[in-house]
Amino acid sequence: MTRKIEQLKQKAKYLRQQVLEMCVRAGTGHVTSSFSCVEILTTLYYGGILRFNPKDPKWKERDRFILSKGHASPILYVILADLGFFPKKYLEKFNQADGKFSVHLQHDVPGVEITSGSLGHGFGVAAGMALAAKLNRELYTVFVLLGDGECYEGSIWETAMFASHNRLNNLIAIVDRNYLSVIDFTENALALEPFEEKWKSFGWRTISIDGHSFEEIFGALKGFRSRRSTQPLVIIANTVKGKGVEFMSDVPLWHSLAPQGQDAFEAQKELENENDAE
Amino acid sequence: MTLNNTLQKMTMRDAFLSRVYELAKENPDIIVLSADMGAPALDKFRKHLASQFFSTGIAEQNTILIGAGLALEGKKVFALAIAPFITLRCYEQIRIELAAMNLPVTIVGVGAGFGYDDSGPTHHAVEDLSVLRILPNFTIHNATDNVMARAFVDLSCKMPGPNYVRLDRKILPIIYQEETDFSQGLSVLKESQDIYLIATGNMVHRALEVAEVLKNHSLKVGVIDIYTFPINEKLLLEKIDGVKKVITIEEHTLPGGLGSAVAEILMDNNKFIPLKRIGLNLSKGYCYKYGGRENIQSLYGLDKKSLAKTILEFAKK
Repeated sequence: MTRKIEQLKQKAKYLRQQVLEMCVRAGTGHVTSSFSCVEILTTLYYGGILRFNPKDPKWKERDRFILSKGHASPILYVILADLGFFPKKYLEKFNQADGKFSVHLQHDVPGVEITSGSLGHGFGVAAGMALAAKLNRELYTVFVLLGDGECYEGSIWETAMFASHNRLNNLIAIVDRNYLSVIDFTENALALEPFEEKWKSFGWRTISIDGHSFEEIFGALKGFRSRRSTQPLVIIANTVKGKGVEFMSDVPLWHSLAPQGQDAFEAQKELENENDAE
Repeated sequence: MTLNNTLQKMTMRDAFLSRVYELAKENPDIIVLSADMGAPALDKFRKHLASQFFSTGIAEQNTILIGAGLALEGKKVFALAIAPFITLRCYEQIRIELAAMNLPVTIVGVGAGFGYDDSGPTHHAVEDLSVLRILPNFTIHNATDNVMARAFVDLSCKMPGPNYVRLDRKILPIIYQEETDFSQGLSVLKESQDIYLIATGNMVHRALEVAEVLKNHSLKVGVIDIYTFPINEKLLLEKIDGVKKVITIEEHTLPGGLGSAVAEILMDNNKFIPLKRIGLNLSKGYCYKYGGRENIQSLYGLDKKSLAKTILEFAKK
């Protein structure tokens, strides 16, 4: 396990570097929103959690992963390219005239399930897919990654109610709880707390973890395919927006910016040295 | 009893939903989502096809999202609610999940125009055609009678993308024969060489009545029923080729509605035929008037008498 986690840490470092490189080159992309969920996505895609097949992205038995916070598309695009869903050279064309994709998520990219960028949508689509699995007696699990700011959307709670009422225990929501939306910290702007209690009261099983700890992410997902509970599961992953680059971390206005010039250089340097410092 | 006799006694939503039930019995992939909309035909559905029916509550946004998720997994979804709610409350979900991703979900809205005449502007569906017909990949089916409403179920099941079936709350007279083919999107109900009234939904019946009234004033007008948007442009141009004037009639706001759609087609094709659009003028604001649908219509010049007068004046110009 220790060796596996060490490999995942190296992978997370590589993915952060790729995200940064892509966004710096393009001059756009939500770097900090991607960085807060790197460990979560690394676990799902490289930790043996998700079932998928890069050669057959629509494989019927695949697990469905819905990035409901579609502005974190850079991290997903980088992962899908790394896994061979599409050529890595696509990343070089991020936001270019002859490119395939840009800042928000597009359903026509291999490995991507839905178009996403407007918040509060992907969660409901994920619940619909989980319901379909029940109706079709299929065994895939539907994972959905939500932003915490996204949970301001009323539609999130419409879906939360629907999912628990219909006992969608094959639906796992992970909230990237980085405590920041665009202009401010959530608790200053409009309090989301008591957050876990909200989910509980909507009929969800909840687990709260450190969203940058591979051990805790694995712990929360232990036995997820054979869950006895009929409740859907939400993992509230406490994270740091911009994790990996100190000067971009926990700073509201870095939300949709890609660092440029000296900032980009500093960020690259810090990522390069990241694991060595530990 | 013939099918049409049976249908004539039903509300439009029952005519529609009873056909959904017939098809769903044979096809377990047909799913009905109801955002708290009921109907006798739906009671039967809930009882006998319980696993294909889900109450989504008064939560239209999630209704569309669940529908999208089911559609991605191969289900044919009918999402049902009162018309203004299932179109406007969840407009962005329709735009992104259904139109942008081109998913074959059928939105079913009950209460076209002033159908909820006793309920005030919250329940009037008078902007839905404008806002939905501008979406790529999206089709609107606006029902004129129960034969058409029933046929729209079959059409919906064959759609590769999303559509909106707009049903009247009231029982409208049946004007179409059983087994009519509605796939062309419009029908000429009365031919004319000179003037055509072009109407949609319940106003098609009004246009037919007015055409009779105008006959007594020695004015012979034709009637075209447009029940699919985008309008079948080629067919419409063919049908009105050579006529002198065109009048559109809709129980819907003028900007963006039927009249606008017809005007766009005429202008885009250099057909400079004089056009009169009759519908809800924005200057009148929202409708807080009651006393029955006919009374409300009279306030907007959509009653038989006002229409005949407007059309006669326009014809003489």
